[in-house]
Amino acid sequence: MDASSNAAVAAAPQRRGVASAGLAPGRLAACLGVVAAIAFLSLLPMGRLLLAAVAPGGAPDMAAFAGRIATPAAVRAMWHTLDSASCGALLAMLIGAPFALAVAMTDMPGRRPLGFMLLLPLMIAPQVTALAWLHLFGPSSALLQALGMAPPPGTPNPMLGRDGIILLYGVQHAPIVFVTLRVGLAGIPRDFVEAARAAGADTGRLLRTVILPLMRPYLLAAAALAFVSGVGNFGIPALLGLPVNYLTLPTLIYRQMSSFGPGVLPQMASLSVVIAALALAGVVVQAFASRAPARYGGGLPARLPLGRWRWPLATLAWAAIALMVVLPALALIATALVPAFGVRLTTATATLANFAEVLTRQAATMRAFRNSTLLSAGAAVILALGAVPLALALERFDARWRRGAQAALELPYAVPGITLAIACILLFLRPLPLVGSLYATAWIILVAYLMRFATFAARPVATAIRQIPRELDEAAASAGAGALRRMWTITAPLAAPASVAGALLVFMGAFNELTVSALLWSGGNETLGVILFSLEEAGLATHAAAIAVATIAAVVLILGLLDRLSGRLPPGVLLWR
Amino acid sequence: MRILLSALLLAAGIAQATAAEGKLVLYTSQPNTDAQQTADAFMAKHPGIAVEWVRDGTPKILAKLQAEIEAGQPQPDVLLIADVVTMEGLKAQGRLMAYPEADVSAYDAGLMDKDKTYFSTKLITTGIVYNTKAPFVPASWEDLTRPEAKDLVTMPSPLTSGAAMIHTVTLTGNLPEGWEFYRKLAENGALASGGNGDVLKAVSGGDKLFGMIVDYMPIREKAKGAPVEFVFPTEGVSAVTEPVAILSTARNVDAAKAFIDFILSEEGQKLAVSQGYIPALAAAGLPAGYPDRSAIRVLGYDAASALAGDAANKEKFTEVMGQ
Repeated sequence: MDASSNAAVAAAPQRRGVASAGLAPGRLAACLGVVAAIAFLSLLPMGRLLLAAVAPGGAPDMAAFAGRIATPAAVRAMWHTLDSASCGALLAMLIGAPFALAVAMTDMPGRRPLGFMLLLPLMIAPQVTALAWLHLFGPSSALLQALGMAPPPGTPNPMLGRDGIILLYGVQHAPIVFVTLRVGLAGIPRDFVEAARAAGADTGRLLRTVILPLMRPYLLAAAALAFVSGVGNFGIPALLGLPVNYLTLPTLIYRQMSSFGPGVLPQMASLSVVIAALALAGVVVQAFASRAPARYGGGLPARLPLGRWRWPLATLAWAAIALMVVLPALALIATALVPAFGVRLTTATATLANFAEVLTRQAATMRAFRNSTLLSAGAAVILALGAVPLALALERFDARWRRGAQAALELPYAVPGITLAIACILLFLRPLPLVGSLYATAWIILVAYLMRFATFAARPVATAIRQIPRELDEAAASAGAGALRRMWTITAPLAAPASVAGALLVFMGAFNELTVSALLWSGGNETLGVILFSLEEAGLATHAAAIAVATIAAVVLILGLLDRLSGRLPPGVLLWR
Repeated sequence: MRILLSALLLAAGIAQATAAEGKLVLYTSQPNTDAQQTADAFMAKHPGIAVEWVRDGTPKILAKLQAEIEAGQPQPDVLLIADVVTMEGLKAQGRLMAYPEADVSAYDAGLMDKDKTYFSTKLITTGIVYNTKAPFVPASWEDLTRPEAKDLVTMPSPLTSGAAMIHTVTLTGNLPEGWEFYRKLAENGALASGGNGDVLKAVSGGDKLFGMIVDYMPIREKAKGAPVEFVFPTEGVSAVTEPVAILSTARNVDAAKAFIDFILSEEGQKLAVSQGYIPALAAAGLPAGYPDRSAIRVLGYDAASALAGDAANKEKFTEVMGQ
């Protein structure tokens, strides 16, 4: 999950709140609390980064800034980033749009499981997806070898380099397109379609002249989100691009940091600002596009019966899912089962030794499981608890300020993770009074997670709180309950399911991430993403595959938990419902 | 009085040395599995010490250490990294602690730092690995520039691997054509990227058929059934010695000294043999799959100029290999 699901969160339907209640007691304290929380979680890191990029010496120096981002390597990486992210976004549209149409508007059999399966790539860490596809193709594919279909030795793995990266951006971000477009398609009234049919339009003409114009803002928003997610992605270009020296901006920054150390911080800060600018441009386009959707009444959603194409198209859709989701997972499992990379998988060679090694013997991997679990759970609990008072306080702001505050909370997620990581190093490298330097401790990762995933917890809780009838609160107030007491006896219990869902989303996001911790980890504080990447780099491909399989199992477990909660959640919190 | 005091201190030191305990942080460039085995064997001998290890390529682990030094929080007690040139750099910065009591009597004096700040532990050579399905068996470095090997050669990058840095310096210093050899490799489509692990993966997986690589990886994988062979090229091989050192900022000096003692002990050296490495201690024997020590021709290099020209060499490599 990574920059990709930021998009998904942003794409979740927004609800406009009722006008805020006027002045209330405690408003000043609430205001201060909100401002402090948002300043800490968002404005502080972003401001520090900008300062380091533009004015490292104290005075703004645009010429030096331009010099740092105009090196040949940086320009090449910028071009690679733009190229791969836009082609990837296009591919994501080509995959996601037909699925959205099929699930939202047609009578295709098995629509709902189809939608759930398509969302899986979004829930799985990009580095795991990249690893799975890497093992699917190429002469070393344990799966293809077992089937006797592997290409001859000496064939380069087709996944490495630009084309593989674009393909995986397409697969990984197709769910974002799917979710965004489905919301739009579900809002198109049946009357429009029936009117067009009555006027003699066939399906092609109907799509072209009715659906497409109505969908234009959603299409633009979906493309922009897919682009932004590609710009910030780290796991995919790290595993598919670094081995063949195809560098995008995030991987260039990583390589500079990991090979040269903090001496190049101003350079990296400048490049981070460039990525952030690219990503924010995409976010602005998306926000602009979804601001003014065409106004049309509700009514029953439109339906396009498929007739005799029903089963053939369903078969095609499931074949596509099998290719995009099931096969790579099988390839990953196959690699995790062979004793050494390149050995053919047979019943005689199959072994569980890799799982035993990473899950029970290697201290570093066991520590990484513990670290990732503790850090993700810590961030989830803190954010879920903080979200309730934050959302309540925000309720007292007027609508414009509230939107501004929410946008600020989203900023550290909208910018690529590597940007946030650089900002955190800048903030916490030098020792702070009382606490000392947070750098090289687990705390810096926890703080970065709090910044990055705050919006995951804040959104569902804000939605849920806005749905609580005000009368409850007013009745309690008239019975003499103070603000705190009302929060813990009325709001908190009613918002609890949304809070739990937010916590699980935070947990999953942090559990899967690599971008932030790739730069912030230190001895003893490795995360799962870091260990997976490190094992792969050390040439222990079979061990890396075993960890990847284990993390997929963990994610599927969390998804199951979330699904069980679904009945008690406000609509829009779970993407696949 | 003074003698008494130092005797007391010495006694206290010995007492502590035998009962070292607590946490020992090790930064190493050994592959994860080897790092774990080394830590396990050491902890079995010193049950009171818990080893926490971190693994990355030598340049990367050094960058991490530099960042930590800058933040005022250097984490490791002990470093076990690829090459002595990097150690010399750290020694010059005053980052290493001398351990004059270390017992190196059984070792070849040329392998050890005369100030006893770092200690060579192994001999790791870089030669050629090929996939058994390759069109020909390479015998020399020059063979990698043959047209049959076009686009099929891979090598580690000095940006990621310390052994690769020494290897580049050694080859360019010893082969008659110098950097021109690398230029010819680049023209032949050779790819330089990542560490030795990436080379192993690419060649055993068959993405590439030839590679420059440290000896133990392919020799070990071959024993597990991977389709690879290792060759000591006719011109000779480069070598690093995987030195171990205590940092001057070490928090658990006693445990760190115990670790050095263990690595340099016959038992520690036998462990290296069991992991498939040529040990620094000749008496510890050789792992299966290696020719006799005398048959391995190790090429020399100028350590002082390698240290001084480190950044320039990285830049030159990047330029020649078109990265």
